[in-house]
Formats: sequence, C-alpha cells, structure tokens
Amino acid sequence: MKWRVVELETHDAYLNMALDEAVSEDIMNGSSPPTIRFYTWKPGAVSIGYFQSMKDEVNLDTCRELGIDCIRRWTGGGAVYHDAKGEITYSLIAPASLFPKNIIKSYEMICGWIVNGLKTLGIDAVFSPVNDVLVGGKKISGSAQTRREGILLQHGTVLFDLDLVTMFSVLNVSKQKFSDKMIKSAEERVTSIIKQIDVDKKDVYDALLRSFTEDKDFEYGAWSMKEMFRAKELARLKYKTDKWMFSR
Amino acid sequence: MIFQAKQKVKEGKVVKVEVDCEKFIKDIKITGDFFIHPEEILDEIEQSIIGLERSASIETITSNIKSRIADMDIQMISISPESIALLIREALI
Repeated sequence: MKWRVVELETHDAYLNMALDEAVSEDIMNGSSPPTIRFYTWKPGAVSIGYFQSMKDEVNLDTCRELGIDCIRRWTGGGAVYHDAKGEITYSLIAPASLFPKNIIKSYEMICGWIVNGLKTLGIDAVFSPVNDVLVGGKKISGSAQTRREGILLQHGTVLFDLDLVTMFSVLNVSKQKFSDKMIKSAEERVTSIIKQIDVDKKDVYDALLRSFTEDKDFEYGAWSMKEMFRAKELARLKYKTDKWMFSR
Repeated sequence: MIFQAKQKVKEGKVVKVEVDCEKFIKDIKITGDFFIHPEEILDEIEQSIIGLERSASIETITSNIKSRIADMDIQMISISPESIALLIREALI
C-alpha cells in the first residue's frame, strides 16, 4: 500500500481539522490514499476534545482579544493550545485495518514513530499510555484518535516551544487566579524540544518525517481539488459553526 | 433543576455531569477529556439515563448504561459506565 505524505503546511484551525475529515471521507470511498500530513496553525488556536464543552474549557473573550481561533475536534481528549510557532502537528489518516484493533496499542504504534524521531535528535522520549509521549516524566507530545467507517484518524502535536502565559490565558485550566505558581506547576509537567536540546524546528520536522515514513512505501503529494473543495466546505458548514463548536 | 458534579474518575480523566432533574432525570450532559469509540455512543449513554428516578442507585444507572451499549462494538478509554454512574449519584445527592 502506497502512502501519501503531505509536507509541512500552514492553515487556520478550521481548514486543518476539515482536511482530516475530507481525506477520511475520500479514503473511505477509495479515491484517496492513506495519508500522513504535517502542519502548523495560523492564527494560533485552541482545540477542544469532541466531548468537551467550549464554554467550560476556553476563555473565549481572551481568544477574541488575542486573535486566537477556537475549534472543537472530531477526536476526543483534552483542550490544547496550538501556538502558531511553538508546535508541529501531524495527522495520520488510513484504513483502520492497518493498525491494531486495540486503541491503546495503535496509539503505542503511531506515538512510537514520534518517540523514534525524537530519539534520533538525542531526546530520550518514551510512550506513556493512553496517548502521550514523555521526556523525563514530562509531556512533550499528545495525540488523539477516532475511527469512523473503517478509517483511523490520529492527530497530535509535538511541542517545540512553550508559551505558558498565553496557554493559561486562553484555557480555563483552573478557577484559581492565574499565577506564577501555576506556571511553575505546568513546567513540572510539560516540556518542549528546545528545553531539551538546541535545535532548529526544521531539523525536528525532518526527524519526524523520517520516522513516520520509515519502512513505508510512500510518495510526496498534495491535496486533490476534490479534497480541498470538500475541506473548505466542511470548514464553513461544520467546524466554524456554533452548532458544532458549542454542541456540548 | 440542574445538578452538577465534576471529578477525576478512577480511570484517570476529568469528567463532568450536568443533570436536569426533578423527580425523574429529564436531561443529562456528560463532558470531559475521555475517549469513547465510536464517539456517538455517548448520546446513547446519555439517553439510557434519561427517565431514571432521582433516587436511582449506582447499580441501576450502571446497568441501564451497560444494557444500552451491550451489543455494540465500543471501546471506552479513561471512563466507564460505573464512573459515570458514581458521578451522577454524586451530583444528585
């Protein structure tokens, strides 16, 4: 089976999430190949899990002030602040039959590629069930997965740099007043690539690209016109709507 | 009347329930950072709880959820019928 790899690109939150769904649809109907894509978010965005409440999780006023998008994902899991410069995000969209039926085992397999990529940079990363990658006990990457109509979609982020001040201002992480103590506590739980090693973001992307494609028959590709048309339609008619975003 | 409870369940994730209840449960919303595959099953789980008496036991709530999803091919990660039932019971104290 030949994979398509779509190299690092930048979109807004709505198109990023809509592309994942549009490609899932086309893999389902046999018109698109299994796909691995890498991307960043511009403007920065907060994504919440499928089962989360936007009003509970996100400080919408601050997002508006800072020009940060808010989006509800098609996948479960927690709220994430996607800094425009601070992370590399991946999506893998493929027939579920290529992966273990057990969800945690499939997380282990795909997150294993992140672990291997980071190891080639000299970062001693480990998979931590359910869906995290840790370095020295601190989270450096989180992922989320859904399976619909026989298609597995897993997307996740690798933290290159951390902007905890913005992160805490856009997420309703606590009812406590925003404080230095909260920052310190987060720094004990979360890390980033540049806290581990001095490296360019491009080198991190190259390492991830190599580890995700290792042992795979693949070619670099782009979105078909049909995929992009459908993604723009989904962005407009689904992901940007209050009905979708505030449905829980 | 709306009742709420929120806590980190034993499977590891933070779950919140909002229950609209008088003598019987009229509506319920379960939110959190857990995973259920397929995701739409949560609607079934919520439906299985509507109509129960306010005094329904943890066992009754759990059993209602389990029987609703019994023949479905689902995976619940970091949440369980028992944890949902415990949280509802806590909300309705």
